Amino acid sequence: MDFTLKPVFLLTIVLLYVAINVNAIRTKDKMYENIDASKACFRRLNATHQIGCTSKRGGSTGVIHYCRSQSDLDFILKNGTAPPYVPVIPTNLFTMSNVNRLKQSSKISGVLLYAGDENPDYFTHEQQCPNPESSLKGTCKASSVWNPHGTGLLYQDIPFPVFFVENEETIKFAKECFDKYNNHSFSTQRDRSLCSLQLTSFMYAATNSSTCIRRSNMITNLNPVKFCDPLGDNNAWASLFPLVRGPNLTEPIRDVGYIVVAARMDATSMFDKTEGAISPVTGLVALLATAKYLKTILPTDENFTKNVLFVVFNGETYDYIGSQRFVYELLKGNFPTKSKEFLPEIRMDDIDLFIELSQLNKTETVVAHYLSGTKLKDFLLKLRTNKGDLSFDEAEDSLPPASVHTFLKNRTNLPSLVLADHRGPFLNPFYNSVYDNASNLHYKYLNLTKDDISQSDNIQTHVQKVATMLAKSLYLEITAKSYQGPEDVADLQFIDELFHCYLENANCRVHQAIQKLELNTQPISLYIGVEVAPNFITTLIGLTLGWVTGDVTGPGNRNCTNEPKNYALRYYNMSRSLDDLNTTMCYRITMNFTEAVSPAFIIDGYDWSSGQYSTWTESIWGDIKLRVFLKPSAAHENMTIAVGSMVFILALLLVYFVKSRAHILFAPQLPTLAPTSC
Amino acid sequence: MDLSKVPNERKLYLCRWYFRAGLALLPFIWTVNAIWFFNEAFRKPEYAEQKQIRKYVVYSGIGSLIWAVIIITWVTIFQINRTNWGEFADNISFIIPTGSP
Repeated sequence: MDFTLKPVFLLTIVLLYVAINVNAIRTKDKMYENIDASKACFRRLNATHQIGCTSKRGGSTGVIHYCRSQSDLDFILKNGTAPPYVPVIPTNLFTMSNVNRLKQSSKISGVLLYAGDENPDYFTHEQQCPNPESSLKGTCKASSVWNPHGTGLLYQDIPFPVFFVENEETIKFAKECFDKYNNHSFSTQRDRSLCSLQLTSFMYAATNSSTCIRRSNMITNLNPVKFCDPLGDNNAWASLFPLVRGPNLTEPIRDVGYIVVAARMDATSMFDKTEGAISPVTGLVALLATAKYLKTILPTDENFTKNVLFVVFNGETYDYIGSQRFVYELLKGNFPTKSKEFLPEIRMDDIDLFIELSQLNKTETVVAHYLSGTKLKDFLLKLRTNKGDLSFDEAEDSLPPASVHTFLKNRTNLPSLVLADHRGPFLNPFYNSVYDNASNLHYKYLNLTKDDISQSDNIQTHVQKVATMLAKSLYLEITAKSYQGPEDVADLQFIDELFHCYLENANCRVHQAIQKLELNTQPISLYIGVEVAPNFITTLIGLTLGWVTGDVTGPGNRNCTNEPKNYALRYYNMSRSLDDLNTTMCYRITMNFTEAVSPAFIIDGYDWSSGQYSTWTESIWGDIKLRVFLKPSAAHENMTIAVGSMVFILALLLVYFVKSRAHILFAPQLPTLAPTSC
Repeated sequence: MDLSKVPNERKLYLCRWYFRAGLALLPFIWTVNAIWFFNEAFRKPEYAEQKQIRKYVVYSGIGSLIWAVIIITWVTIFQINRTNWGEFADNISFIIPTGSP
């Protein structure tokens, strides 16, 4: 074979062999095992504090210690010999006292929480008085707080990462690893390899909102970094009758009184999993059912002097973001729109009555909370008349945390009441937590058809009774006559379907009736999220509200458009009914969205220390992940470094020696004499 | 550039101009000047231009030291007090570290 081809040939054979046989797994995938489906606790900030958790930059590592009971946790805090640890604890051990001990101990670098087999009795980390700064003073008395089991952990600054996994299956690998490597001979743990967890949830923002917003807005170099985002989304509102009249519906109706029926639509929890069954979904479904029923029994405006505004506020859990912005715009004359030409200007004084639907679980009574007022006695009487077989009670001089507080701060004589399921403290043991889900409500999907009735006493029939009571009272208030027509109760099928949509499966009949996108078969989270990433559930709730308060103007086809453009109304093709999703009709809808971002972020030069508006922001983060690996003992790691350094120094010495004696070691090639030519 | 192959006037010329360039608030040029010409100024046998070269090397060395003291003092003060100074510190920062107050 030719001299020059041989190495090339050899090289080709070697490369082919390697390419065929090598299995290209990255080294890091052989070391780490990722745990997906984990939710992290992340950092939020307000004008004065930071709350939530963060890991170290690049992730916090710690040795796994699986705890089943308090004694396991105590053991590791007292006798752990190979810190730092990451205890894996069930949710019933996640209490204020344990978290304080974990914070003070220097042995803990993170916590992994799992939902144990039994639900705890109480699991709410909201404060005992929710929204203390933005609610009216004196409505949360120290002798009877609203959320007595609230630990306030949601508002604590925790210096280590906390992750949550829903079931133990996902951490099966970690448990097996723990049993194999860690769970024996604890006194000699330092000397062997241990199964460890790495929790990565590094948060960029720090200190408080004003600092991180200021830093995000500063352009100091060509690569600006954002530190935090304001919390925000949209509110949705709709009017029972259009706000305009006339042959082309272009004339705004002025000088009318408004009754506002409100509910909130957001929830929160320490981890990014919020279904919010009792708060807010019961109130939200009651509002939508009331709107639908009221529209059925009172379809057209025959020159009544009152209109009803249904408003769904977003962000109320975080110092009433939605209602504060709503009131701010209302006072500036910007509601419903800035221009007065197409829609009437609605002012604070035009609101005759404010009714809020708060938590409405099926408890003994439905309680109407109000601060004292005379106009209310009228309406309360109407509610009592229409209550049917509901048990109705009144609580004077009492007002649970609700959007109405923002309105009352600006107009103290506004007649307002809050309908709730509790007379004193909340009856919801899982307020604003991961456990406030369908089983907390004892909700079962009934899958009804139209006009079905349900024999048993469940949350659907309870909400039906509340909606019926409220709608009939509103009918009486608007028309001054009792309702005598055929439709006796609110739509039970609609209520059942709505609960199914919000708590079990977002790709449900109601959401298919109002829009065409296929959705995930999971409930959509009700957390407000950041302003720059709007939550789709807001659009869905708004469209549902529009659907039930809208008027049908014809069959659903391409002619259903807003031409010529009417600024007061929208036109959508939506299904005619839940039983008949394929037939669409053209709906003329009075619904619109308004921005639910705190005025603190839009006012130039806002004074962050004034405490006037909500200032909540959410930190930006890079990766959030959780993985298991085997960490070598400290002695092993030290030896690795020592061997490496020795090799390095030896190599340096060797190269120095070889270089200085190169003229001896490598004899120079003498040039061969050129052959004499012939 | 191998200084052993450069004539003496050229060495003086270089040393002098390095010193003058460093006056434009460029302490690293002085440091380079002091180190590069150190052998020429103090170790080589005597020659005509060596006295002047020595002068420039000494001045460059002293200048570098003063700058080092100033820079180290400022960096220490800033690192310790950046958090306390709040908005002012952010305004004079080029890169603000994430995740810390």
